[in-house]
Amino acid sequence: MQSQSPFAILIKVVLLGAIDAVAVWAGIELVLSANYSMLAVLVVGTGLLNALVLSKKAYPFRYMAPALVFLFGMVVYPILYTGYVSLTNLQTGNLLPKHMVIETFENRFVLAEDAEQFTYSAFVDEGDGMALVLESETTGERLLYENGDTGPLDMDDPRLTLDDEGTVTGLLGYEPANKYAISSRLDALSIPFGDYVLRHSLFKFSKNTKQYSFDESSDTLTDLTTGAVYSPIEGTFTSEDGTELEPGFQAWIGFRNFGVLFSNAALRKDFGRVFAWTIVWSLFSVFLSFSLGLGLALLLNDRKLRARVIYRTLLIVPYVMPVFISALVWRGMFNTQFGIINRLFNDLFGVTFRWLDTPMLARGVLIFINVWLSFPYMMLISLGALQSIPGQLYEAARVDGAGMFRRFSKVTLPLLMISLAPLLIGSFAFAFNNFTLIYLVTAGRPAVLGAASPAGATDILISWTYRIAFQGGSGNQLGLASAVSILIFVMIGTMSAIGFRFTKRLEEVYK
Amino acid sequence: MSKQLPAKRTKQLRAVGYWTGRFGRRFVRHFLLWIALAFALFPVLWIFSASINPTSSLNTQQFIPDRITWDHYRSLFTDPTYPFVTWLLNTLKVAGITAVGTVILCALSGYSFSRFHFRGRRVGLLAMLLVQMFPQMLAMVALFLLLRSIGDIVPALGLNTHLGLVMVYLGGAMGFNTWLVKGYFDTVPRSLEESAMVDGATPFQAFWRIMLPLVRPILAVILMIQFMTSYAEYILASILLRGTDQYTLAVGMRFFTEQAFNRRWGPFAAGAIVGGVTFLFLFLPFQRLIVSGLTQGAVKE
Amino acid sequence: MKRILALGLIIVIVGIAAVAQDVTLTIYADDTRAPLLTTLGEAYTAVTGVAIEIVEFPWNDIRPNFITATQAGEGPDIIIWAHDAVGELVANGLIAPMELGGRAADFSSSALSAFTVGDTVYGMPYGTENLSLVYNKEIVPQAPRTWDEVLAIMRAQYDPDVPSYGLAFQNTAGNFFQFFPMISAAGGYIFGFNEDGSYNPCDVGLANEGAVFGATLYQDMIEEGILPTGVDWDTLNALVAGKNVAMVITGPWLLSAIQDAGWDYGIARIPAIKGPDGTYNQPLAFIGVQGFMVSAFSDNKTVAMDFLLNYVATTEVMADMANAGNRIPTFIPAIDLAPADLAYFADQAAFGLPMPSIPEMDQVWQEGGNAIDLINNGTDAATALQQAYDLIIAAIGCE
Repeated sequence: MQSQSPFAILIKVVLLGAIDAVAVWAGIELVLSANYSMLAVLVVGTGLLNALVLSKKAYPFRYMAPALVFLFGMVVYPILYTGYVSLTNLQTGNLLPKHMVIETFENRFVLAEDAEQFTYSAFVDEGDGMALVLESETTGERLLYENGDTGPLDMDDPRLTLDDEGTVTGLLGYEPANKYAISSRLDALSIPFGDYVLRHSLFKFSKNTKQYSFDESSDTLTDLTTGAVYSPIEGTFTSEDGTELEPGFQAWIGFRNFGVLFSNAALRKDFGRVFAWTIVWSLFSVFLSFSLGLGLALLLNDRKLRARVIYRTLLIVPYVMPVFISALVWRGMFNTQFGIINRLFNDLFGVTFRWLDTPMLARGVLIFINVWLSFPYMMLISLGALQSIPGQLYEAARVDGAGMFRRFSKVTLPLLMISLAPLLIGSFAFAFNNFTLIYLVTAGRPAVLGAASPAGATDILISWTYRIAFQGGSGNQLGLASAVSILIFVMIGTMSAIGFRFTKRLEEVYK
Repeated sequence: MSKQLPAKRTKQLRAVGYWTGRFGRRFVRHFLLWIALAFALFPVLWIFSASINPTSSLNTQQFIPDRITWDHYRSLFTDPTYPFVTWLLNTLKVAGITAVGTVILCALSGYSFSRFHFRGRRVGLLAMLLVQMFPQMLAMVALFLLLRSIGDIVPALGLNTHLGLVMVYLGGAMGFNTWLVKGYFDTVPRSLEESAMVDGATPFQAFWRIMLPLVRPILAVILMIQFMTSYAEYILASILLRGTDQYTLAVGMRFFTEQAFNRRWGPFAAGAIVGGVTFLFLFLPFQRLIVSGLTQGAVKE
Repeated sequence: MKRILALGLIIVIVGIAAVAQDVTLTIYADDTRAPLLTTLGEAYTAVTGVAIEIVEFPWNDIRPNFITATQAGEGPDIIIWAHDAVGELVANGLIAPMELGGRAADFSSSALSAFTVGDTVYGMPYGTENLSLVYNKEIVPQAPRTWDEVLAIMRAQYDPDVPSYGLAFQNTAGNFFQFFPMISAAGGYIFGFNEDGSYNPCDVGLANEGAVFGATLYQDMIEEGILPTGVDWDTLNALVAGKNVAMVITGPWLLSAIQDAGWDYGIARIPAIKGPDGTYNQPLAFIGVQGFMVSAFSDNKTVAMDFLLNYVATTEVMADMANAGNRIPTFIPAIDLAPADLAYFADQAAFGLPMPSIPEMDQVWQEGGNAIDLINNGTDAATALQQAYDLIIAAIGCE
């Protein structure tokens, strides 16, 4: 390797130094905001970056580093996170992390029976300080709250400025505060008042009792009004007699989600059905669109054909039209009552079909639409592959006496497959995960008799997972959906790996 | 000299020749292509007709509307509640940056996989490919939290920013595209770089000045396909962007169709035409490159 | 905590006098409500200095976005949504009790009860909606009172070539809402009640005799062909726009389309259905209530409540908000300002019940919706409802 110019080395050092400085600054920010997971990521990332730049052995990785950063950050991390969630009970009722739920309970107050309320005047100083003069509406009692300390208002306090009616209008060292400006600070206050606390709402302070108290050492929540003690059991605060408090929180449940998937017979059946349809859907989509694309490529692969480029350009339009538009247009066209397809059928044959409401027809329609969307891509790649087949091979075959079909099957097709098979596998994987199309056209419906989960006739694995996660029956079951996602990922990863193994292109990957 | 055929036979042969001869074959070709065109363009014509039809319902219109109105198009550009032009520009911005970023990053990493022999190369590439098969959208909550954390440190990259969305898209685009570039690089002989380095270039200079231009076709392919993918992406954009002015086309146009009532098919159709046509024009110049780029380097002679 | 202190610090530094620009109320609303709130927000800012930020989402995205954002600590202070989300949001601890105090008397009690879980009210309602029969007086001069009359009209109007139908309502899978009246007439119900008046989710009445009777009636109409199937929102709009249907069972949300189509329309109660025992029963309709809810994790609850109770809960604003969505105001002083038509919806509302908002209701929407699908595709009504029942019970986890 050539040695680098001093200039290049200087640039490298300066840049690296700058990045390290930024990293240190960001690190301090993260420590301050107690975001330790991001801090860990930052430390590891910066360490790796330094290693990359400074170590000669890591030269290849310098090229890959930017790509890997995004890959790890935006793809690998979500996978790991999904794996983590799949081991929790994240779902409706157990949605928030424990500390947020504890905060919720600690912020629950019960109005005192006498519902005593206090009006107040608020004052702030130039720093953080805040003072409040409170006056009870029932007893007339006055309090002074100042930066955390509360006590009765001393009318002789020299700092007070009073008006004729005895209302406090000023406090030395403080300025009157705008109640709106400080309302969020006031909302967060809990001013001790004997056995009670004063809480702010609707611009008054009222006498409340705190309802719950969390004890960190024993990890229990106590209801101060009833005395009941609640322990966290699997994401819900439960008392000894079994009463559960709402809301619950996310909790670790190990592999139970996976267990449910495998043990629940009806769910397994759903999974099997959806999986089978996903495979059929992907295979047919790829096969049919490829056939159509290849056929058109063969037609267009003649330089002497007039208007060739125009044909090709216009035929690409389905591919270029964004999916979210074409899916909705097709859905409209297949509408039972008014869709143009049914109107044509009615005019020509006198029959109409309930295209999107009948399971088998809906599946067929979806494949049809997907073929429409994908054939231009297949056509383009086939054209490219056809053009890269050397003409001599055809000549040789013709000399050998092979007819059109023979030439196609013995020369064209094998060579096409070599170059296109990996792309076809890629298309298969894409169809496998093609959530958008299914969601926009049928959203997985129509329903199937005997389904145990939101799995319709046209649901593919990914749309099924989405429905479990976000449209679930008994609330959104993100934990379960994450388990399904992991399973899907393992499956399609395995299938693709096997697929790659069977293609000759693999030789190049494994070189 | 062959003997003369009887006149009837000649006529028959000429008839057969008409259809199987070059002219006949060409006629059949054009005929089939026209059928394909009809299949391909029918929905597009339909939506165009919807965009100029005064009735705002996708279902009831006839193919050729009774009256033509350009109001739907006009409303796209004038309606302040639905800033279509903003959405379009946002989409072009996001898709453009994503596409260019993808090209750069994958060119670099593809080169690395192709040229350098390091431990874990095979496995690494396969892993990159397989990892990409995890559907990003299922980890929505993870991405949301991630962008929020990033946004706390660098606000320009956080939630509801276009750059943040670009980062997410970039992540999902690395695997397959790197592999494509790598495959293309494999077909370029090493001798080119080697001679450059003998002449005094650093490896990076060899890459930048010599290798990169050679793989232009595949880069063009990646540019366009990634642009298109980002253009049409809806799920992630709808979660990570909030606020009408930040939306991309895909999310914004859902306003036209997702409302509890007042579905606005007319403007939706007009928006579809404008959005689709814009992209078609961007795509056109690159067509030829895409045709050759995907497979040219593939078959070794 | 630190966030609040930091915010306070910033506020103090910026200045005290009246310009409290760092306090911002974030509201999630859809595009129908947003313009009203924006204008109102500007008025509020002028008086109090608090900025109001309206974030617009398509209607169906408001709830999931609220949940995701709040989970991540980024949520808004206020959202506008329908009452049936209350159960789920309370179960997740995401919304705060609404402190109406004495103002509660200004709101209709049924609307408030829709937003109540246990003893606590969690929202401020502004409008209600429910299904009714909307009929075209040119074809049906007088509203039918019984279902027999309806069937007669349907048979008379049925012509598949035009197409022309006597009656239509949304009956694709997601529309259990519209299906409920038929089920309820002869005795079907969703959840039974406990002694204290709360719902007993394990007492599901979807597969009882009355429900099956109603569903069978529905199935007969479909099989005869006089009731169009696969009618989703777009199709219903299309039927109405082209005057291809004489009557629809729908809510006030369709009124603007009906008016645009030039119907001379009337609104009436859903006609009574004769039960198996021969008595005529009034079908019940779900009532949907829409309102404002405050996030439990909002840092600005006081300001939020102030905005809602003192600026939004005024007669004109409530009337405008309800009107923007064609809903009946729940703010009692605003009811007089509502358009006259909407009063007719109240006829049916007297025979209505708010959609149950407990989280278990999600399962009902889903399985009930699937049951419609199945019946549309030929499954026997009793079987379809039984499957729905079994799945709901299994998912809720009863016995």
